[in-house]
Amino acid sequence: MADIRFAAMLASLRALLVPFAVALILAGIVLIVIGENPLAIFGLLAEESFGSARRIASTLSSATPLLFTAVATAICFRAGVFNVGVEGAFLVGGLAAVFVAFALPAGLGITLIPLALVAAMAAGAIWLWFPGWLLARFEVDEVVSTLMLNFIAAAITGYLVNGPLLSASAGNNMTPAIHDAAHLPRLMPPSTLHAGFLIGIAVMVLYGLWCRYTPAGVEGGLVGLNRRFARAMGISVSGTMITVMCLSGAIAGLGGASHGLGQLFRFSDAFSPGYGFTGMAVALLGRNHPVGMIVGAVLFGALASAGTTIQLFSSVPLDLVDIIQGLVMIFAVMELALPRLRRRRHA
Amino acid sequence: MTHKNDHAGVVLGADRLSKAYGPVQANRDISLALGAGEIHAIVGENGAGKSTLMRMLQGMERPDSGSVILDGAPVSLSGPAEAMARGIGMVHQEFMLAPDLTLLQNLILGSEPMTAGPLRRIDWAAAEADGKRLAAKIGVEVDWHVPAGSAPVHIQQFTEIIRLLRRGARILILDEPTAVLAPPQVEELFALLRLLRADGASMLFISHKIPEVTALADRVTVIRRGEVVFAAAIADTSGEEIAGHIVGTEAPPPPVPLAARAGRTGPVLALDRLCTGKHQHVRALRDISLTLHAGEIVGLAGVAGNGQSELAEVLAGLRTAETGRIALNGADLTLADTAARRAAGLGYISADRRYEGLCLPATIALNTMAGSQRRPPVARGPFLRPAALLQGARARLDHLKVRYGRLGDPVSSLSGGNQQKLVFAREIATDPAVLVVSQPTRGVDLNGIATIHRLLGDYRAAGGAVLLMSEELDEIMALSDRILVMADGAIVGELPRGASMQEIGRMMVMGADHG
Repeated sequence: MADIRFAAMLASLRALLVPFAVALILAGIVLIVIGENPLAIFGLLAEESFGSARRIASTLSSATPLLFTAVATAICFRAGVFNVGVEGAFLVGGLAAVFVAFALPAGLGITLIPLALVAAMAAGAIWLWFPGWLLARFEVDEVVSTLMLNFIAAAITGYLVNGPLLSASAGNNMTPAIHDAAHLPRLMPPSTLHAGFLIGIAVMVLYGLWCRYTPAGVEGGLVGLNRRFARAMGISVSGTMITVMCLSGAIAGLGGASHGLGQLFRFSDAFSPGYGFTGMAVALLGRNHPVGMIVGAVLFGALASAGTTIQLFSSVPLDLVDIIQGLVMIFAVMELALPRLRRRRHA
Repeated sequence: MTHKNDHAGVVLGADRLSKAYGPVQANRDISLALGAGEIHAIVGENGAGKSTLMRMLQGMERPDSGSVILDGAPVSLSGPAEAMARGIGMVHQEFMLAPDLTLLQNLILGSEPMTAGPLRRIDWAAAEADGKRLAAKIGVEVDWHVPAGSAPVHIQQFTEIIRLLRRGARILILDEPTAVLAPPQVEELFALLRLLRADGASMLFISHKIPEVTALADRVTVIRRGEVVFAAAIADTSGEEIAGHIVGTEAPPPPVPLAARAGRTGPVLALDRLCTGKHQHVRALRDISLTLHAGEIVGLAGVAGNGQSELAEVLAGLRTAETGRIALNGADLTLADTAARRAAGLGYISADRRYEGLCLPATIALNTMAGSQRRPPVARGPFLRPAALLQGARARLDHLKVRYGRLGDPVSSLSGGNQQKLVFAREIATDPAVLVVSQPTRGVDLNGIATIHRLLGDYRAAGGAVLLMSEELDEIMALSDRILVMADGAIVGELPRGASMQEIGRMMVMGADHG
C-alpha cells in the first residue's frame, strides 16, 4: 500500500506547486503591465516571508489557522462530503473558547486552556453535526446547508459580541480580553508564533494517522471514492457522513480556539478574514494529503504575511496577493479536472 | 477478402483500420466488407475490439491508419450525425429512447414533420402515418401512444429500428440486439431483420451467441484481440469452427458437473412474500417467496429488467422491502442493515462489479478486505493494523489463486476475470451460508468464466447455498439445481435442472404477458 500512498504525496505536492508557479507567472505579467519589475517584487515577497527567523516565524504564525481549517475541510472532502461550513465552525469554536477563557474565574489558571479547547471543539462539532445529520437523514445538500450556516454563525457571533458579550471597556463589537493564564505560550517572542502552530501540526499528523490506522478513517476514504461500494460492504454511509462532519467541526473549532487564545486574546467581529475558505483552497491544493496541506498552508501564510510589507515597500497594492491567491485556486481546480478529462477520452 | 483497391460492391466496410488507446492496440489492420442486402455478423469476446470498430465505422473515433469504406469509396465521417445522414444507423444495446415520451414522440424526435403554412407545428398525423407505414413494412404492430419506458422491451427495440429507417438508414449496425430479449422475441426480431434484408438493407450484427449468428447471418467475421482472425460465408463454415476462432488456441472451458453435496443441508434462506414499491425506473417486486437449501444453486431466469437486480439489492440490504420477511437460518433479517446481514452469513456478488462490487481506485488489499476492517485481526481495539490487512488480503487471494502484481496496486490494474475472482475471494472468506450472485461472468473472458463456474460449484459442494441471477440462460442452465423464472417482478414458475431453453423461454414470456 506504500506505493499508492507515496504516489499520493508526490501527486499532492505537484498539484500544489504547478498552480502556484503558473499563478506567479500570470501575476508577473500583471506586474509588468502596471510597470513593476516582477522579479524584484517576487524577490521581495520571498525575502519578506522566509528571509530571516523572525520572518519565517511570522509566516508560520499566519499559516497556523489554515492548518486547522485545511484539515477540517479535507476530512470531509476525502469522504465525498462537500462541507463549506468550516468558516462558521471556526467562528463558533473561537467564540466558545474565548468565552470560557474570560468568563470562568481567572483562579483556574492554566486549566483554563484545556477547558477552552474542549468547549471550542464541542461547539464546532455540534455546529457541523446539524448539517451532517440533515444530509444523512434527509439528503439535504450539504453545500447549501453549510454555506448558509456560515452566515448564521457570523450573525450570531456578531450579535453576541455587540450585545451580551460586549466588553465593558471596549466601544463596540469585541468581547473582554481573556485571562492572562489562558494565553497560549509564544514560541519565538517577539513574533506572534504561538503554541497553536504545534497543535495544528499535531492535528495534521493525527489526521494522517486516522486516515490510515483506524477503521473509521479507512471507511471515510472508501465512502469518498465509491459510496455504492461502501454501502454494499456494510459500511454505514450516513454514519460516516455524520462522523466526518462532527470531526470537521471539532477541528475547525479547535482552530478558532487556537486563534483566540494564541493570537487575538479576544473575539471580535473581524475574528476571521475567511480562514475557512482559504483552508478549503489549501485542502484542494494539497489533495487532502497532510504533507501537501502543510506546504500549502505555509505558502498561503507567506502570501498573507508578506503582502502587507509589499504594500509598504513598493507601489504594488495589497490586492496583488488576492490576485495570486485567486489564480492559484483557478489553476488548482484545472489541474484537478485534467486527469478526469484524460480518462473520459479513453472511455 | 478483397482489400487491394477494389471496394466495388462494398456498402460499408473497413480497409485495414487500426486504432490504439495508449499502449493498448484496440484494432489492428481490420478489414471488412458488407455487401448490399447482406447480414454480416461480427463476433468476438468482450474486449476483442468490436466496439472500437463500430465507433470508427460511425465516425466517433478517428482511425490511426486505414479507412472506412462507404459505397465503394473511402470516406472520413465526422460522427454519428453524418453517418446517419449518409444512411448508417446504429441500434445500441441500451436503447436511445426518452422513457417518458411516447413511442411516437420518440420516433420523430430530432426530425419532426411540420405542417405547412405560417404557423408551423408538428404534424402529428403525418408522424403517425409514417410510423404505421414503416411498422407495417417490417411486419410489426406498435401502439404509438404508450410511453417508451412502459412499452415491452422488444417493442422499444422495434421503435429504434423504425426510427432509423424513417430517417433513411439503409445500413444498420445492431449491437448485441438479442441480449435483452426472451427467446420468442428473438425469433420475432430475426424475422423482421430478414424482411429488411429482402428489402435491400444491409446489416452488421454484433453478437457473441454463435447459434444466432449461424441462424441469421450471411457472412461472419471473428475478431480476437483487435485482429480479424477468421472471415467466411456462413454456408462455408460451422458453429464449431466459429467458436474455435473466437477462443483461439485456448481450450474451451469444460462443462461443470455438479458434485455431490456434502456438509450442510436443510433450508437456509427463506423469503416470504417480499414486495417493493415501484419507483421511476425500478421494477416493483411482487410477492416473492422462495426457500433456498444448503448445498444448492437456484437459478433465477428472466429477461433483463424483470426484477432480478431489484431482488438482489433487497437481499443485500441495499433496498428495503415494503412487506414480507427475509429469514436466514431462522433469524429474521428483514429489517437488518447490510453489515448485519453480512455478519449473519450473507455474501453478495454484485452485477455491477466495477462500481458496486469493487472500488476501482482503491488498492487490491483494501478491496479484498473491505467489510472486515472492524473485525480482528485487522482491527485491534480502535485501531486498524495495516500489516494484518495485507496479510489477510494475501491469504484470501492466494486461496483462490488470484493473479495480481502488488497488493498496493489499484484494483483497476487487474483483468476482469481476476477482479471477479477477487470479489469471490472476499465474499466467501467469511464462510457465508448464502451467496446472492448476480451476473457473475459479465465482462469475463472464457477462461475466467470456467474458473468462476468452478468456484460456484465448489462452494455449493461444501454446503453453500447460491441464488444465481444471470442474463446468460446457458449459465443458469449449466449451474442450477432448479430454475425459478421471473417476469414482471414476480416468480412465475419453477423448472427442474435439465429443462429446455424453450420451456424456460416460454415461461419468461408467458409471465410477462400476465403482467
